[in-house]
Amino acid sequence: MIEVQNLVRTFNSGDRTIKPVNDVSFVLEQGTLASIVGKSGSGKSTLLSLLGALDKPTSGDVVVNGVSLAGMPDAKLTEYRRRDIGFVFQQFNLIPNLSAVDNVMLPMEFAGVRKAARAQRAGELLEQVQLDPSKHGRRINRLSGGEQQRVAIARALANEPKLILADEPTGNLDEQTGDHIIELLSSLSRDHATTILVVTHDRALANKTDRRFRLQQGKLTEEPVRGRAVAANV
Amino acid sequence: MSVLARSVGNAFRNKVRTAAVVAVLAVAIGLALAMLVANQAVGAKVQELNASVGTVLTVNPAGGQGFEGGGEPLTTDQATTAAGVPNVSAVVGTSSLRLRNAAEAAAQAAAQTGQTGQTGPGGQAGQGGPGAQAAATLTTSLTAAVDAGTLGNRNQQANGTAGAAGTTQQPVRSLPITATGIGAGVDTTGKALNITQGSGLGDYTAASTAALLGTTLAEKNNLTVGSTFTINDQTYTVSGLFDAGTTFGNNAVFVTLPSAQALAGTPGELSSMIVTVNSMDNVATTKTALQTALGADKADVTQGQNLQTAVSSLDSVKNISFIAFVAALGTAGLIILLIMVMLVRERRREIGVLKAIGAPNRTIGLQFVLEALVLAALGSAVGAAIASFASGGIASALISSNTTTTTATTGRGFPGGQGGPFGGASQLLNSVTATASPGVIAGGIAAVFGVAIIGALVPALLTARIRPIEVLRGE
Repeated sequence: MIEVQNLVRTFNSGDRTIKPVNDVSFVLEQGTLASIVGKSGSGKSTLLSLLGALDKPTSGDVVVNGVSLAGMPDAKLTEYRRRDIGFVFQQFNLIPNLSAVDNVMLPMEFAGVRKAARAQRAGELLEQVQLDPSKHGRRINRLSGGEQQRVAIARALANEPKLILADEPTGNLDEQTGDHIIELLSSLSRDHATTILVVTHDRALANKTDRRFRLQQGKLTEEPVRGRAVAANV
Repeated sequence: MSVLARSVGNAFRNKVRTAAVVAVLAVAIGLALAMLVANQAVGAKVQELNASVGTVLTVNPAGGQGFEGGGEPLTTDQATTAAGVPNVSAVVGTSSLRLRNAAEAAAQAAAQTGQTGQTGPGGQAGQGGPGAQAAATLTTSLTAAVDAGTLGNRNQQANGTAGAAGTTQQPVRSLPITATGIGAGVDTTGKALNITQGSGLGDYTAASTAALLGTTLAEKNNLTVGSTFTINDQTYTVSGLFDAGTTFGNNAVFVTLPSAQALAGTPGELSSMIVTVNSMDNVATTKTALQTALGADKADVTQGQNLQTAVSSLDSVKNISFIAFVAALGTAGLIILLIMVMLVRERRREIGVLKAIGAPNRTIGLQFVLEALVLAALGSAVGAAIASFASGGIASALISSNTTTTTATTGRGFPGGQGGPFGGASQLLNSVTATASPGVIAGGIAAVFGVAIIGALVPALLTARIRPIEVLRGE
């Protein structure tokens, strides 16, 4: 379970103070597939970075399975990211001079998975995201944007994280592949109790999630998803 | 893919830049290795020179120079004083004699009797050079093994023995024979006599009628072990033959020290002292102490064969090459530092990605250190090739430059020509051979890798300060 408590993140820009995340609180049960929608620059990526321990909040706390991230030393935060978090970045952020399979193997290498095991799992994950097997060994900079996005999703799944944070995971995919990715994320949350929080402009994707939030000027509100009631724990 | 494989891949990510970095590194590393090779070669030569000079100091009367010098003779009391100087392990006295063939001397005396008023300056019955006080000249039944030749005759006339104004043709003479009374079984440079036949003189500190002859002198006079000959009508028996290695050195006789002193009529006097120091490290300090104990106006203390200047000069070359090695090594380290800092700055976002997906700081740091080592390895490979070609030339240039400086400073001409004070040293310097041995190159490359690690540590530590949020920069 992820519990976000009065999360605030401020930045100073000249003599102005910007609050992309302003007193955000919510709770996500394990296995929830949730989405955050909002305009560009509304603070969605900042909120994801705070949940994924990429950044530290100005105030407030994120509690993951009863463990507070506030005050956690850097080494522990690294371990948290390695073990519990899977990121899908908007710009993929793959290592350009490595192959697709090497990129997927990286998080497993850091987690100490043996080479043979990680090679096998990387291949399986790339198949799950429907990357042509002939492109598994191809360098990232020789893959299309959609292919890179699928590699990024496979990398996020590598260590079977408890929480997947995805920024526009279907943004560069054609409709068919996008649907497949949505189905893949849904099955992960449903069958593996993986909590998934996606930031998206894709209304179709947002409507397929269990819960939908809107971030506007740093404030988070939950919106009803068609056919579902708004959860009471926002 | 392992960290190492990733580092190798990263090193070649930008091939043009990698080639440029390797080229610059190779020059610095090549220079460092060449300097190290030169340093080792010169160091080995210094050791060789020190070994050839050994731990022997020679004490001569102040103002003395072989048979031509002046000054007061050394005494056995001074030998006792020398033996008391710290670190002196042995003192051997010598007494030098010059022997002329008795028949030849008689013929010359007869010729001079008929040339009234034509005796040259300082001439004393044709037996002594001007002011010759370091050695007495005696007659012998032996005939010298070396003919005077043009140089010998010229020298004898210059020394006034033939009479400067003489108009009568002088009889052709052979060179004098060198006879040395010695207090131990060593030659005048302190080296053990190389006795090829027979035996030594037994107790070198007691009067004896035994003598050692040089091989060529014995052959010239048809003498062998057990044969006899005379010096000043005193009969001596050949107890052994020695080989000094040179024609002049083998035209010599050794007798015990008291025998020589008795022949010369100078008991208690010494021509020189051979002082052995207990360790090579103590030679310089002992030399100073010995000079002080004996008095600079009484005795000249010299080390070996005037090689000190050569050793000193080579030491300078050694120091210069070592400083240049360290400087070139430091430059290589600085190049690696700057390149790696640049790479870290360039890859901030990528480092952020690695941190975001859980890479610990040490893994990222190690990746950059290994990348630096890959560059250093490439630079070392090319640098070693450069060093193997350039080290000889650099060593020669260093030595040449240094000796030129010495010439300009001292005005004496260090390399020296024939008869110059350091002619031998010049030959020794010219014989310095800088060979890039695998051991030296390996040692140098190990130093390069050490510097590369140090140079890469700073940027590696910088990576620890990069926060994972860098991954979102620009998103």
